[in-house]
Amino acid sequence: MFKKIQEWFDERIGLTELINEFNGERIPARGGWAYTFGSLLAFLFIIQVVTGMFLLFYYVPYFPMARNSTYFLKHHVLMGNILLGIHLWGAFTMIFILLVHMSRVYFSGSYKKPREMQWVAGMVLFSVVVILGLTGYMLVGNENSWWTINVLDNVASHVPFIGGFIRILVKGGTETSVLTMQHIFAIHVWLLPIVVIMFIPIHIFLVRKTGEQGMALEYKNSKLSDDDINKWKHPDATVPFFPDQLFKDMIVALGVFAVIYFLAVYYGAAIGPMYRPLALNFAPEADWYFLANEELLKYFPGHGLIIFSTFLVPVLGFAILFALPFIDRGHERSPFKRPAATVLGILFLLLLVYLTLIGGEPKAPATV
Amino acid sequence: MTKSSEDSPSRRTFMTVIIGLISAVIGVAVAIPILGTILSPLFKKRDIVWAELGKIDDLKKIEPLTPKFVPVYFRVKEGWTINTLPRQVIVVKDITGKLYFFSNQCTHLGCPLHWIPARQKFLCPCHGGMFNVLGKVVGGPPPRPLFQWVHKLNNGTVLIQNKFMDNPKDRGV
Repeated sequence: MFKKIQEWFDERIGLTELINEFNGERIPARGGWAYTFGSLLAFLFIIQVVTGMFLLFYYVPYFPMARNSTYFLKHHVLMGNILLGIHLWGAFTMIFILLVHMSRVYFSGSYKKPREMQWVAGMVLFSVVVILGLTGYMLVGNENSWWTINVLDNVASHVPFIGGFIRILVKGGTETSVLTMQHIFAIHVWLLPIVVIMFIPIHIFLVRKTGEQGMALEYKNSKLSDDDINKWKHPDATVPFFPDQLFKDMIVALGVFAVIYFLAVYYGAAIGPMYRPLALNFAPEADWYFLANEELLKYFPGHGLIIFSTFLVPVLGFAILFALPFIDRGHERSPFKRPAATVLGILFLLLLVYLTLIGGEPKAPATV
Repeated sequence: MTKSSEDSPSRRTFMTVIIGLISAVIGVAVAIPILGTILSPLFKKRDIVWAELGKIDDLKKIEPLTPKFVPVYFRVKEGWTINTLPRQVIVVKDITGKLYFFSNQCTHLGCPLHWIPARQKFLCPCHGGMFNVLGKVVGGPPPRPLFQWVHKLNNGTVLIQNKFMDNPKDRGV
């Protein structure tokens, strides 16, 4: 019976061939578990889209109501707390895994020729996902959202020359108003997800186009020198994507999803108080992935230097990250054979962790 | 009969140019109204209104160099709604008896300031900016002294505008 259905489709659209084409990609054999992060991110993105879609059944992007509709969803909708929890913890996990995935690619030199464009596409995805996280934080409509919108608008206003315009455009006006929320909402649920949906296939297409490239440990038997482009085309052993690699991907996906589900059910999504513009003792807090940046904003005092923390350092940092494959053009891939890149990478990660930890400390004593 | 592009290279060029032109025309035609809707906020004027703060005689009775937080409520047109924007005004009297009307927003990135009586300072809970009671920066990253609300006196009542003095770039609020 099944066979007949398959034949019916094969006769018309060559379905089996199509599926084999998609699933048969050969993957270098040794690094299997290290290659699961990419699939994991695609999986987490699907989870975000599916949960987000159904959050829309209840959410209202209107400033005084947004927080109450989220509250209603959490407390008065059957299992709404789990849905909201998965969306929140899934977002946190996605950003964390993105950093892990980027670190893996960085340390194993996988961004090198011929995979430069793939790194750039990945950086687009990274930037967009971080903005998705920030806009999601704003959409809750609680006190933190309100101040996050204002603080980030003010950060944007320090862009040279056009800063003031950007601030007005993002806000949809001169006040943080209904239009601000509507803009952020449209960006969060439609504009940026579409960018992600466009760039994930580009990212994957480029992986397949450049072929069976892997980490340095895939080439133990290769006698070619590191400078030979042919060396990187022929790993010692490969396995088909389906089922060998997908099997590992699914095990990791299940593990990570179990953690997200646990966090969603037991901790859920905290919905802070309604925003009170008159509050005298409120200390806004950023999400954990923004704390390093938050800490950066505390330095560079005064009128002349503020542009360093609000514009120059972040923009330069992102520019360097985007241009990484064009800056580091050596052919070495093993982290042990390119100590400068490895040490710099580790130092950068340590700096990030350090800034995040001190950025999370309470910054001012509460009013007495 | 029309020639196919394979028969004539010039025919191929012609078709390519026409395909490009049609795409460009449609693209521009769609992009113009989209740009219009995105840029529309730039052409809207900010709704500037006055709100009552209180009687000048009552405000003059406050302790010198001790800030008093007084809320004002601006009725402002925002998009398609008219909303009440509650804002804090910090009223400070200096030793000569002059009144200042500060905003409680940090001039760094706009977080709400805390008054710490023990230290006689305003502290920003976000990035550690510090101001003294007369609004001067005494620590942290803020680039300028506290914003002062535009205000006027009308029959003994202090009116506050939702606008800061010497703030050409309209920061804060």
